[in-house]
Amino acid sequence: MTQGETYNYTVVRRFAIMTIVWGIVGMTVGVYIAAELAWPVLNFDLPWITYSRLRPLHTNAVIFAFGGSALFSTSYYVVQRTCHVRLCSDRLAAFTFWGWQAVIVLAAITLPLGITTTKEYAELEWPIDILITVVWLSYAYVFFGTIARRRIRHIFVANWFFGAFILTVAMLHVVNSAAIPVSFWKSYSLYAGVQDAMIQWWYGHNAVGFFLTAGFLGIMYYFVPKQANRPIYSYRLSIVHFWALVFTYIWAGPHHLHYTALPDWAQSLGMVMSLILLAPSWGGMINGIMTLSGAWEKLRTDPVLRFLIVSISFYGMSTFEGPMMSIKTVNALSHYTDWTIGHVHSGALGWVALISLGAMYYLIPRLFGRELYSLKLVEVHFWVATIGIVLYITAMWVSGVMQGLMWRAVNQDGTLTYSFVESVQAMHPFYVIRFLGGLAFLSGTLVMAYNLWKTVAGAQAVEAPIPAPAH
Amino acid sequence: MPVSHVIGLFLDPKGEWRRIQEKNYSVPACIFGHTMILSLIPAVSGFIGTSQIGWQIGAGAPVKLTVSSAGQIAVLYYFAMIAAVVCVGVVIRWMSQTYGASQPLSTCMVLASYTASPLFLIGIMQLYPLLWLNFVVGLPALGYTAYVFYSGVPIMMQISQDRGFLFGSAILAFGLVTLVAMLAVTVFLWGAGFAPVFTR
Repeated sequence: MTQGETYNYTVVRRFAIMTIVWGIVGMTVGVYIAAELAWPVLNFDLPWITYSRLRPLHTNAVIFAFGGSALFSTSYYVVQRTCHVRLCSDRLAAFTFWGWQAVIVLAAITLPLGITTTKEYAELEWPIDILITVVWLSYAYVFFGTIARRRIRHIFVANWFFGAFILTVAMLHVVNSAAIPVSFWKSYSLYAGVQDAMIQWWYGHNAVGFFLTAGFLGIMYYFVPKQANRPIYSYRLSIVHFWALVFTYIWAGPHHLHYTALPDWAQSLGMVMSLILLAPSWGGMINGIMTLSGAWEKLRTDPVLRFLIVSISFYGMSTFEGPMMSIKTVNALSHYTDWTIGHVHSGALGWVALISLGAMYYLIPRLFGRELYSLKLVEVHFWVATIGIVLYITAMWVSGVMQGLMWRAVNQDGTLTYSFVESVQAMHPFYVIRFLGGLAFLSGTLVMAYNLWKTVAGAQAVEAPIPAPAH
Repeated sequence: MPVSHVIGLFLDPKGEWRRIQEKNYSVPACIFGHTMILSLIPAVSGFIGTSQIGWQIGAGAPVKLTVSSAGQIAVLYYFAMIAAVVCVGVVIRWMSQTYGASQPLSTCMVLASYTASPLFLIGIMQLYPLLWLNFVVGLPALGYTAYVFYSGVPIMMQISQDRGFLFGSAILAFGLVTLVAMLAVTVFLWGAGFAPVFTR
């Protein structure tokens, strides 16, 4: 078969495998630092494995290595399948794979050494940032170049979400990482004071909005209808909520800076825009749930559907919680507490991780031409992961609200009711429960890795022919 | 009395759901005869626990709320629980068409009310407000609530098991949203002048 008649599955396969690998690595680091918070002795007085250095490693590994690989893999798959055309450049696609892996390895080396810009979720220093930019622009070229060569006139909605994610992340990364280098591993932000904080959270919140939401909605809009074997409940709603999401998210960043030096009007604007975000988030949730509603006959034979259902439920919950927490009155209590951590993880574990893992259960057997080794193990994974998430979130809710209440409790004479260390002591049991929740989630992922390993062991890579145009 | 089904829901959930289904309670009967009675348990226990018994952090004297502060919070808490049940009932009715169930609002309300029973009962532990203990005891109760709920959906809505699982999950999604909304409203009220007042 000559080239051009098959899809490029090689790059999809590589990213899919690395999704699982980096998922395990990132979650393991997460579980370890959760244990460090409960039992601080675990840092063994070694600077490289203190919480402060491993925490950015955890966030970078789960967001950019695990989530990023899942997005590369699924977007390359979806854009080819829905455009009926091979990726526009195999060589550049391979470059994005090796380049992205290089970025991750560099992060894993520099962060424990303490080399950091100190910008949350953008900790990597300027030489790595330049590499990210080159890889990302290549990604954009491959993705949009493939869309330009499409044989299907209509651009399927999942590609709109992937496209918005790629474009916006490019812009966010370049603007926020602009810095003046003082040495090879040290630079200072181009912006000063509160402007720097605002740029950082414009980036930070849209990393959530576009990297962790728009991109994964792209996954939802392809894999949910595929797995349920039905069309999207409302295609019109999907387009409406796409534009609502793209227009609104970009303004919501200031809610990370409530009651700081940021001008008050900017904080209020951020809060209002965050509340408007309820609309697109519910658009996505209703579309997902309603698309799945008719797939009930398949439920018994297809445990992967459960991952998709539950991930959409958590999407709905965490995107409802977010606007609530952006209300200034609520934020006055919730900010800087574990409630925020719980909120992030209901999105990260419940939504992002579950939909990615669901998509990998769909993708990996197909890429190797095999049936899943064990549906029973998928079911085990589902329950262990769900219990883990529930433990994690509920522990952080209780701990967070308690922290908030303790920190602001004052006696009649105006003195603080509690010392800070009393609040730390009160949090300890919840940190143990959170550790157990994280451990459960990681165990589920290990079960999945075993299941997928048995599925693909000894299998031949599959080449899929591109169907002839229908007209 | 609608509230008399509670014991049966523990001994034989599926059988009890069938008996509840046969009774065809109206919306007022279910709210007044069940929800408003059972939700008194956590509200009153919480009031006594926070104002009379208090909780201890570290070695100091126990921290309590003043009676008026605890009373105010208990009343708000009571009505918030009832409002949450009603909201979930209405959402079940709204989604039922999509899942091939055409039950009247009263049945949906009954489903929402009885599902919450284990949570209301476990509310008694708030008499002793030791947060981590409450949490450890509360989690199994939450798990049992989920079990009671999933076994009740197909029976009350008269749909197949598999369909019931999907419908149940969709309702649970909105239940989670209601939970988060209650959390946010609580914190909002604290900020708006209903903050707990401590005695120490």
